Amino acid sequence: MAIEDPELLAEFIAESRDHLSHVEGQLLQIEANGAEIDVDLVNNLFRGIHSIKGAAGFLGLVTVNKLAHSLENVLGLMRTRELSPDSAMVDVMLRAADALTHLVNNADVSNDADVEVHVTKLDRIFASADGSLVGVSAASVKIEEHAHHGLRHATAADFVEEAMFVDSAIEDDSPATGPIDADESLPCAESSAASGPAVTNAPLVDEPKTASNAAIQAPPVAETSIRVQVGVLDSLMNLAGELVLGRNQLIQALNTEAHVGIEAVASRLDQVTTELQEAIMRTRMQPIGAVFSKFPRVVRDLSAKLGKQCDVVMDGKEVDVDKTILEAIGDPLTHLVRNSIDHGVERPDVRVAANKPAAGTIHLKAYHEAGKVRIDIADDGGGIYPEKLKKKAVEKGVVTAEQASRLSDREAVRLIFHPGFSTAEKITDVSGRGVGMDVVRTNIEKLGGTVDVDSTPGQGTTIQITLPLTLAIIPSLIIQSGDERFAIPQVNISELVRLRREEMGKRLDRVKSAEVLRLRGSLLPLVRLREVLGFQTPEGSDGESDAQATTNIIVVESGQQRFGIVVDALHDSEEIVVKPLGRHIKNAPCLSGATILGDGHVALILDVAGIAVHEQIRSAHDDVIAGKGEEQSAGEEDLQSVLLFTNHPREHFAVSMDIVARIERISSDQIDAVGGQELVQYRQSSVPLLRLENLISARAPEPQNWVYVIVFVINGKEVGLIAPRLEDIRRVPTNVDTITFQELGIQGSLTMSEHTTRLVDLFQIAEIAHPEWFADRPQPSVEAGKKPLVLLAEDSTFFRKQVKSMAEERGYDVVDCEDGLVAWERLLEGDLEVDVVITDIEMPNLNGFELCQRIKQSKWGYLPVIALTSLAGASDMQRGMEVGIDDYQIKMDREKLLAALHNFTGAKAGNNRRHLQPA
Amino acid sequence: MTATLAPDRTATAVERQFATFYVGHMLLGVDIRIVQEINRQNEITQVPHAPDYVRGVINLRGDVATVVDLRTILGLPKSDSDRQSRNLIVHHQGEAIGLLVDRISDILTLRGDEITPPPTNVDGVDGRLMSGVCTLESEIVVLLDIDAVLADGARQE
Repeated sequence: MAIEDPELLAEFIAESRDHLSHVEGQLLQIEANGAEIDVDLVNNLFRGIHSIKGAAGFLGLVTVNKLAHSLENVLGLMRTRELSPDSAMVDVMLRAADALTHLVNNADVSNDADVEVHVTKLDRIFASADGSLVGVSAASVKIEEHAHHGLRHATAADFVEEAMFVDSAIEDDSPATGPIDADESLPCAESSAASGPAVTNAPLVDEPKTASNAAIQAPPVAETSIRVQVGVLDSLMNLAGELVLGRNQLIQALNTEAHVGIEAVASRLDQVTTELQEAIMRTRMQPIGAVFSKFPRVVRDLSAKLGKQCDVVMDGKEVDVDKTILEAIGDPLTHLVRNSIDHGVERPDVRVAANKPAAGTIHLKAYHEAGKVRIDIADDGGGIYPEKLKKKAVEKGVVTAEQASRLSDREAVRLIFHPGFSTAEKITDVSGRGVGMDVVRTNIEKLGGTVDVDSTPGQGTTIQITLPLTLAIIPSLIIQSGDERFAIPQVNISELVRLRREEMGKRLDRVKSAEVLRLRGSLLPLVRLREVLGFQTPEGSDGESDAQATTNIIVVESGQQRFGIVVDALHDSEEIVVKPLGRHIKNAPCLSGATILGDGHVALILDVAGIAVHEQIRSAHDDVIAGKGEEQSAGEEDLQSVLLFTNHPREHFAVSMDIVARIERISSDQIDAVGGQELVQYRQSSVPLLRLENLISARAPEPQNWVYVIVFVINGKEVGLIAPRLEDIRRVPTNVDTITFQELGIQGSLTMSEHTTRLVDLFQIAEIAHPEWFADRPQPSVEAGKKPLVLLAEDSTFFRKQVKSMAEERGYDVVDCEDGLVAWERLLEGDLEVDVVITDIEMPNLNGFELCQRIKQSKWGYLPVIALTSLAGASDMQRGMEVGIDDYQIKMDREKLLAALHNFTGAKAGNNRRHLQPA
Repeated sequence: MTATLAPDRTATAVERQFATFYVGHMLLGVDIRIVQEINRQNEITQVPHAPDYVRGVINLRGDVATVVDLRTILGLPKSDSDRQSRNLIVHHQGEAIGLLVDRISDILTLRGDEITPPPTNVDGVDGRLMSGVCTLESEIVVLLDIDAVLADGARQE
């Protein structure tokens, strides 16, 4: 037989059995559902079979691989609802599953088994539904080929040869990965087989009992014993002694009148308990090398199979993790490594053409970080192209085109973790059926870990996994909802938000039916734990917790979901010991276990991911939030991005990001001074530089060797503002204080991180420095001494003032309105001879689109409408076109806005008036 | 399914002991070998989204045990637990499970031939939940088939 690595084989068998143990029930359920296909159920089964297929392929178990492949094909059709299961099909599948179980249980001889009858039947079902092209005959021909013995023997021979390459890692002490790595463990394995729980699947007992065969019969023995270093045991013994001593002292202290010294004893016991706990945890710790050691083989075999060259580098083999985690992480890691080879590393010719070494490198790295274990899987392959992914995602219906257009590159790359997603151009048996990354993510999250991806197109991809050190004890926050207390694992908690009663109106909002929290410029979906858990809300309250003075919100993260949970009260942070739930309730959707609190009460542990699923955070809220995110301006909470910098280290400034063209870092000696004007050479042109301290009342910065230059464009010409130190880019509210600092060049002030920050008006400071640049600016055509009239609808006071003063400065009359409805009513009054309308998009009562639509459908239909947005999104533009918006301008870009105003009023103003006269 | 819990229909002379208790007006019994303990615990933690027959979980000396409401399983109207209600902790399929009962009664020793197969229903309670009945002088003891009682719930999930 082909498999020379009993450790891997034993793992494969244990794992496959685990999958297969559910198959029968799942198939029967599928049959019961009939045409009402439960996609999740089929998916589950599909993944199980897919895992078996993949592992079998890798181990050279061709027959298992083939049978699983055929089974998977059929399931694949059911999963996409192309095939509706009936009893006859399920019958075939059940028999095939039985055969598969049989093969797995006798994996070492499985390659000689004959499963053609099952394969043929399955393929016939597949072909019958898969369309006319792959007829039954074609399928049979394929089978004939497969059945050809030569092929099988060749494969087997290959594996024998390859087996020579397996490094001696198998000899390592790795009790977690199976007890039978060598012949001498035979007695042990046999005895466990005999004394262990009943052997369930043993249809082929007449085989000779080789070492591996004995292992096959045994249930997963790996879990029942563990190797512990004597040193650890010694320290356990010591600690137990200390504990006894502590107890004796405690009893002694209790026997005295005044309980003398009881505090000292308590603190000693506390210490011993902590140490004991740590020592016991150590016994469960195993080096991650046990899992890593199988990867050289995986990489080698797979890259050979795919015609690629690939090296593997491993760091941190000695990093210890909890045994349970170690056992659970093997699968996801293997999948990720295989994925890196299959999708990441390019073919040698492609690599050479891209100036890379022909052989790719996969770098596995484990290390401790902030009390957790990090595992990075980095390849130097082709990387992930966000645009390509987005396109795929849209094609597959994972996201809508609109959603895709809003995704940042990083978010786009994360799409690979989405269920049903795969970028593989063709289906291979390595990866690329759309199972995989989502399973990986689910599995890792089940362990309380997270997974993320970082990719640079053309240079490679890194998958980062973060895992807790142990699953047995988890730091948690105890919270209350209704009368019950619950634990939320700290790993899921990103922050706590407490809203005072008077803030609630401002910070809480509803989008469609979903509740959201405004948090630093983004909208966070909210769920109320009472409602999630189905508790009664107290009488007299309508669920908005009016009765309470404050609202406590726990911002949690799970995978890519981030949302807020409203709880009734916060209690302490505790290290809790996780207890499993009984079988009647272990499927409760929002719970992951239970724990016993210090006072003896049971508290349930909330499963954040489960809550997200239960509340459909992903689907429902995502849409809502994405839709909402674009408006960015509702009421006074209007937000803009600003670049924060300091001039003098103690003087903070901000400029609106909307008008920043780019930011350069230059060395101070690159600055030339010509005729009193500082310049920097940039791409064959010279950019004039401005210094704040010369233009407004600001202190000069300390001398530096290099500075940043904020480049912006005025009248098509680039101008730079020297910003000695950049601090941050942040989204801030636009309700800027315009009173405190009234100076030309300053729009107002904000308080940020306890610093008063002045918002710089780049255009004004440019004008202060060089009034001549603005000399030839367009002036509105004044008709018979009458200034053109602008109707301005803008709900943000700050922007309204800005736009108004700017337009008035340039010779326009402005009628400003707080929202679209006010503007519309003002227009209806009929006494205004409006020449142009400027409107914000997102406004209460009547938004910009609706306002424009009303105007365009009225007798004022000729009026040009300019829309102001903080960010011009494509979907906005589209919508705007539909309702007849004539132009889009970015709020802070005054020069462009003025140019647009000029365009619309200059040529058209006269005509417009004439139209108006009859009215 | 644990073999020991199957009703012993063949033996006639073998004596078995049953812990009996009241749920509503019904006198019920379970094989005493599966009874781990009887306690009185009113601090039951509710479990959201649990099946309706699950009352909640309790701290059973450091383990978390599920408490099921026999009334609900038997299809009787719910009632609040009172001073006489008890948790009958049974050991079933490797797990300690509390049965919430209204009142504990005696321990009954019965011979196999005193037990008759259950009728299709007793006072509206499905006969499939019973392993047998025994007529005493003044009342009937319904012997519960604990596999059916606890598995029935499992199906409802």
